[in-house]
Amino acid sequence: MKQKISVLMDGELFEDEADSLLDHIKIKRGSDVHNDWEIYHLIGDVLRQPEHIHCGLSAKVRERMQDEPTVLAPRVRAVKQRLRTIALSAAASLSAVGVVAWMSLQISPEVAPQLAMQQTAFRPASMHIKADANDYLMAHQEFSPSADMNGGTSYIRTVSYSKDAAQ
Amino acid sequence: MTMRLGVVFCGLLLAVVANSHAEEMPASFDWLEVVAFAGHQTDYSGVFVYQYDNRVETSSIIHVTEANGEYEKLESLDGPKREIISHNGKVWDYINHKMVLVGSKYVHSGFPSLLPEQLSALEANYKARLLGVERVAGYNTQVILFQPQDNLRYSHKIWVHTDSGLLLKAAVLGDNNKVAEQYAFTQLQIGGKIDRSWVKECDSAGANAKDQPPEIAKDIKPIDSGWVADMLPSGFKKTLEIERNMHGRHAPVTQMVFSDGLSSISIFIEPNDSDEDDDEGLSSRGAVNLYHKVLDKNLITVVGEVPPRTVMQVLDSVRYNGK
Repeated sequence: MKQKISVLMDGELFEDEADSLLDHIKIKRGSDVHNDWEIYHLIGDVLRQPEHIHCGLSAKVRERMQDEPTVLAPRVRAVKQRLRTIALSAAASLSAVGVVAWMSLQISPEVAPQLAMQQTAFRPASMHIKADANDYLMAHQEFSPSADMNGGTSYIRTVSYSKDAAQ
Repeated sequence: MTMRLGVVFCGLLLAVVANSHAEEMPASFDWLEVVAFAGHQTDYSGVFVYQYDNRVETSSIIHVTEANGEYEKLESLDGPKREIISHNGKVWDYINHKMVLVGSKYVHSGFPSLLPEQLSALEANYKARLLGVERVAGYNTQVILFQPQDNLRYSHKIWVHTDSGLLLKAAVLGDNNKVAEQYAFTQLQIGGKIDRSWVKECDSAGANAKDQPPEIAKDIKPIDSGWVADMLPSGFKKTLEIERNMHGRHAPVTQMVFSDGLSSISIFIEPNDSDEDDDEGLSSRGAVNLYHKVLDKNLITVVGEVPPRTVMQVLDSVRYNGK
């Protein structure tokens, strides 16, 4: 059993096996299996971050929970709420389909080679533009129709470019 | 298992709801025309910051409209002093109390500056959304986001003064919605008493300039070069094709300009007289990316306010289609 828990924690257990094991752990709180489960996690935590050891954390949380005030809320809308939950989950699955469809649209076939190209052929884009490249920037700016959209402020980049050229 | 899935679905649902909520307020592209019109027709003076990469530059600007056109004075407030005055498409550098003509801007034929076909290209390629009202430089502004429908261009976010229609802040958002560059007024006076003393100087300099015809204008001539680029993102229309002289180049350079209404791409083609084969490369400045490459003894350079992948894609599709 211990070995199974260890395998489960490594994420190498098959799904059906994992499900039954998890049920086992959940049902028998305080059992050997459950304790082993906690101890293994403690070991993992200690190995990962030795400065914070959560010893008996779940027990402490449970203790504190009992001190919390109980909220006494009326349960009038129980039926309605269930309806809403169904509607919400339906909407959720719909939206999930939407998201997946949207994602597949995003990853269109022609994008993939571009991305690949980017990775191989890219030099750092932060590489500063050389002085002679400034000429191109200014020439581009000079006739850029979109700069005109900004009305009076179309020379902002030009000031900056020509300043570099003067240096 | 079901519960975990439920949580994931709830998260997705929230994201979708938040998204659709924001989309509830589509904006009209007419805003761009309002902005362009106001930028030309309004008298104003102010100070703005321009931020790109890790740099911030501060400049002051005065813009006035007289009977014979627009006058604009820009002055850099940090770094080396630089004054630029422009009037009716001519640009002067103000050096040692003397005006020196440095360039001429391509003058558009009247208003509106956005052509109808550009507007329809914008509508096809960007989604416009109103993002509420924010204060910039003490004025209330309407925030509008233009989000591209593909990943070949950047998002543009603009803050428009609700009364005058002036653009008070603009940002270009790169990948992950990070600001690639932006400028914003920090102080602004709209209308009222604005210093116009420099307008006269500009006029007299303009009169003198007639004696020595600006070489820039004669250096530029429209041509049909025969060069084409097949892989421009959709909506980019050619707005200009010229042959021009450029600083430090022996031979004239062919320049083609394409625009989708918000961003533009320039393609430069010139004979490659450099001995270095290592001329290929990508560089960037704020939202502007530049890529150059030697192609059959020609040096091709693509510049634009578009992502690096776009300038590269465009350059790789440039070919000669002439006789």
